[in-house]
Amino acid sequence: MSDVAPSPAFLQEEVRRYHHFITLALWLAAITGVEIVLIFLPVPMALILTVLCLLSAIKFFAVIMWFMHLIYDHRLLFWLFVTGLALAFATFTAVLSLFAVERVDTKWFS
Amino acid sequence: MSQVSEPAHAPTSTGIEHKKLIMWLFLASDCMFFGTLISTHLLYRKLYPTGFTDAEGHQRFIQNLFNIELTSFSTFILLMSSFLMALAVSAMHKGQIKSFRRNVLGVIFFGLIFLGCQVFEFTHFFHQGLTIQNSVFGSTFYVLTGTHGTHVAIGILWLILLYFYSFTGKLGGHVGALDVEVAGLYWHFVDIVWIIIFTAVYLVEYLGPSGFWGTGLPLTK
Amino acid sequence: MSHDSHHAPVASKLDLAPERSDLGLIRPDRKTGWADWLTTVDHKKIGIMYGAFAMFFFLVGGLEALAIRTQLARPDNDFVTARMYNQLFTMHGTTMIFLGVMPLSAAFFNFLVPLQIGARDVAFPRLNAFSLWTFVAGAFVLNSSWLFEFGHLAGWFNNFSWYKSLVYTDFAPANGWFSYAPLSGTVGQADAALHAPRFTGVGTDFWIIGIQILGVASLAASFNFICTIINMRAKGMTMMRLPVFTWMTLVTSALIILAFPAITVALIELMFDRQFGANFFNPSAGGQPILWQHLFWIFGHPEVYILVLPAMGIVSEILPTFSGKALFGYPIIVFSGAVIGFLGFAVWSHHMFTTGLGAVPTAAFALLTMAIAVPTGVKIFNWLGTIWGGKIRFTPPMVLALGFIWMFMCGGFSGVMHSSAPADAQQQDSYFVIAHFHYVLLGGVLLGLMAGLYFWFPKIFGRMPNAGVAYLASGLVILGFNLAFGPMHYLGLAGQPRRTHTYHAGNGWETWNFVATIGAFILGIGVFLAFANLVWTAFKGKKCGSDPWDGRTLEWSLSSPVAEYNFAQSPVIAARDAYFEDKHGGRRIAYENDGGEAGVHMPSQSWMPLVAGFGFLMIGLGMPMLSMGVPHIGWLVIAGLTVMFIGIWLWALEGPGGYMLKTPAVGSTPSAPAHQTATTH
Ligand code: HEM
Ligand SMILES: [Cu+2]
Repeated sequence: MSDVAPSPAFLQEEVRRYHHFITLALWLAAITGVEIVLIFLPVPMALILTVLCLLSAIKFFAVIMWFMHLIYDHRLLFWLFVTGLALAFATFTAVLSLFAVERVDTKWFS
Repeated sequence: MSQVSEPAHAPTSTGIEHKKLIMWLFLASDCMFFGTLISTHLLYRKLYPTGFTDAEGHQRFIQNLFNIELTSFSTFILLMSSFLMALAVSAMHKGQIKSFRRNVLGVIFFGLIFLGCQVFEFTHFFHQGLTIQNSVFGSTFYVLTGTHGTHVAIGILWLILLYFYSFTGKLGGHVGALDVEVAGLYWHFVDIVWIIIFTAVYLVEYLGPSGFWGTGLPLTK
Repeated sequence: MSHDSHHAPVASKLDLAPERSDLGLIRPDRKTGWADWLTTVDHKKIGIMYGAFAMFFFLVGGLEALAIRTQLARPDNDFVTARMYNQLFTMHGTTMIFLGVMPLSAAFFNFLVPLQIGARDVAFPRLNAFSLWTFVAGAFVLNSSWLFEFGHLAGWFNNFSWYKSLVYTDFAPANGWFSYAPLSGTVGQADAALHAPRFTGVGTDFWIIGIQILGVASLAASFNFICTIINMRAKGMTMMRLPVFTWMTLVTSALIILAFPAITVALIELMFDRQFGANFFNPSAGGQPILWQHLFWIFGHPEVYILVLPAMGIVSEILPTFSGKALFGYPIIVFSGAVIGFLGFAVWSHHMFTTGLGAVPTAAFALLTMAIAVPTGVKIFNWLGTIWGGKIRFTPPMVLALGFIWMFMCGGFSGVMHSSAPADAQQQDSYFVIAHFHYVLLGGVLLGLMAGLYFWFPKIFGRMPNAGVAYLASGLVILGFNLAFGPMHYLGLAGQPRRTHTYHAGNGWETWNFVATIGAFILGIGVFLAFANLVWTAFKGKKCGSDPWDGRTLEWSLSSPVAEYNFAQSPVIAARDAYFEDKHGGRRIAYENDGGEAGVHMPSQSWMPLVAGFGFLMIGLGMPMLSMGVPHIGWLVIAGLTVMFIGIWLWALEGPGGYMLKTPAVGSTPSAPAHQTATTH
């Protein structure tokens, strides 16, 4: 093996990350719990939907930033991924809005 | 002198390892992939909010079909598998191969539970009369979640192979840690796709009395 | 590391001792001849193979085109049946786009990118071989549909029960290159065997799986090239010093990885409709065929830029070389290339104006489409600025590159014409659109790629193509092309519909159709002559020096043909147009002392990419046969999946390997072959 043992500073950093991971796991579980409760609350639907979207976005970005190390890694990786994500989001928002419910004739099929 | 450096050791222009870069490129591309699948599903939910008609000719509503307890459980399981995966990568960075094995076994185990839940869910829905053939909802639901399940299955296979590979003693050092990290990126991605699916496919069906898409019809079995 | 090879550096790979991979198998490093080509991971050889396959399929697609034109030469002709006509134009379009232009561009990516950025290989050499073989598998699958069609016409299958129970017997794809649903899909309820009634035969299944496999190949290659360009640049090769061709490769690859997933999913959905009775595009169950159009064009429009950007890159290399000037407005050319790529994702619905998108979306897509003409025009002005006032040498590549500008511009003009939705309502599905995209694809892309072939062939083979034949061929191509496609503008506006196997006399279309057919044959002869000249050159051409054109970019600093390790010492770049600056300017290329006796690292060859590609071939042949109802054929698909998986798995397990190759010592001429300066220990 040509590899040298990890340096102490690096090990310390790993330990710090380890604690981040545990905290994040707890948060993820908690947010999921909140989501499940939310859908049964007698609050206006638009509000719940907004909060749900927000919460899943938070979970999404938390995982990519910490579990997937984007916060520790080269910034280029973040921008590469966000490009794909943003393009997908924009394209399919457009597709969804291009289909209008009123224009679908549902009468002729069962 | 004749040490042949692995390509992964060679310094790169950006300092990012090739394998990590190519995995992120793949994931960026996979956003478009799952974006297409998810939007197909949402599109048909938007157009046909009334669910589907089962074999006996009964109108069925998605909210009555879904089992939110089961889905929440499998979502939780997948999130926790992601956590264990992060620990497995961390262990490799520290050179702790035993801890890596423990964590990765956990990931595999949780992944299998998730798949088990999905198999259970599919058979349950099938018995309730939802098939890939009898409605657009059946088509989009099974193909979307099934494709995600296939991604999970590939991830499990990959991790199992890495697990056994670790016993050959060749999985180590910087290269080994990188190999595990790249597999981890894939696994986490499968997890975040599920985070979206959980909200966009499952939770929205519970908003209000007849789900976000609305049916305009009374909710009875 | 455990993967290390413990060989001492060798002067030639033939001197290697047999080495076992981590699997215990002997690595095919020392192979020569066929086995060397089948197992190679050398980007230059892979590029040459891509090029050879692409040129072959150009000729296949060309023959299909000539059959189409022969049928249309006279009104009410019956040279081919209506069904055969549909198959011909479908396979012609599919072949030209996926098996002609894209692999020929890939040939240039492969051969040039590492050389232009000062690297010794791509980031993932075995993945690169995998892309090649998967492409070959997809190409084979698509074209094997002709074999089945032929078997059907010849009555080979008459005694088989599966054949007798077929409802539709068209074996070659016949839906057009975009296979619109519901024609390509299903209608009505699936039966117990999950077979929903279809509109077409298994030709469509060949098309679906063929394109799917080709997509895998393109995606794998693009990941690899982005990685290579971002990560393997020589010292000093900053992004803004990259040759424009490399830049366009980067943009094209980015387009591929972002556009192909949409078609991948669309194909999966269509496959589920046809094979498993799903309802994605099945109108009788509420499926929306128009969704197919959206998904196809979300891929399809970026695809047209995937086709043209590499040619633009090539032209941007050729014009400065033969004008003796630096490219005018380099940053603007690069930026407009990127803008074209980005905007290319926002205009897909201009292919769907006549479907009734609604007023606001139609206006929005029309405006965005017009906007895309701006960066395109910017590029054209920059090219003109490049040749303006230059000392122009009218070599064959230069003639073709100038042809590119002129012809591509005409295609751009008609493009802007149908970006106006009301005008497009007249033009859609008429010969006017055929004229438009042949001006951009043939007048643009093909001329650009041919220019590239004539420009770099001396580098690839160290031999110079015959100039006389090249001028003649270029003249025939440009003349024949304009004769064939110019009149189609008129025919289209006069109402001749595309994709119709014949037309009646008396519409006033006879003359120009006849002219177009003559032009097509002249064009065909021209392309054949141009390719024949190249093939002849590869084997018999006159030997030439390493820098016959007074080139500007790094590849010209190397010997012709290029040594297998590319750079004996890694270059350190001091300027854009690095080699030209090195020769004529003040800023010399420095060389790092990383080669010589210690040798440079060469990746090991491998059988595994070929094995994995073969798995795709089995899947690709199995799926359509499954659809035909051939008994037990499901096993072929399963076997194919297994072979693919095993190929990839063993590829991971065998380890990358590698050996050290000695290169000429520092200070010796870079063009000296390696073994002349090698010494023994
Ligand atoms: C100035 C830039 C361009 C504009 C404004 C433009 C606009 C258009 C429009 C509006 C259509 C749809 C016509 C119809 O079906 O009615 C079209 C079709 C097409 N364009 Fe372009 N285009 C441009 C450049 C290109 C380039 C660079 C290529 C390829 C290298 C290309 C290839 C095609 C193809 C293949 C089709 C026909 C697809 C089909 O229906 O089979 N175009 N273009
Ligand atoms: Cu377009």
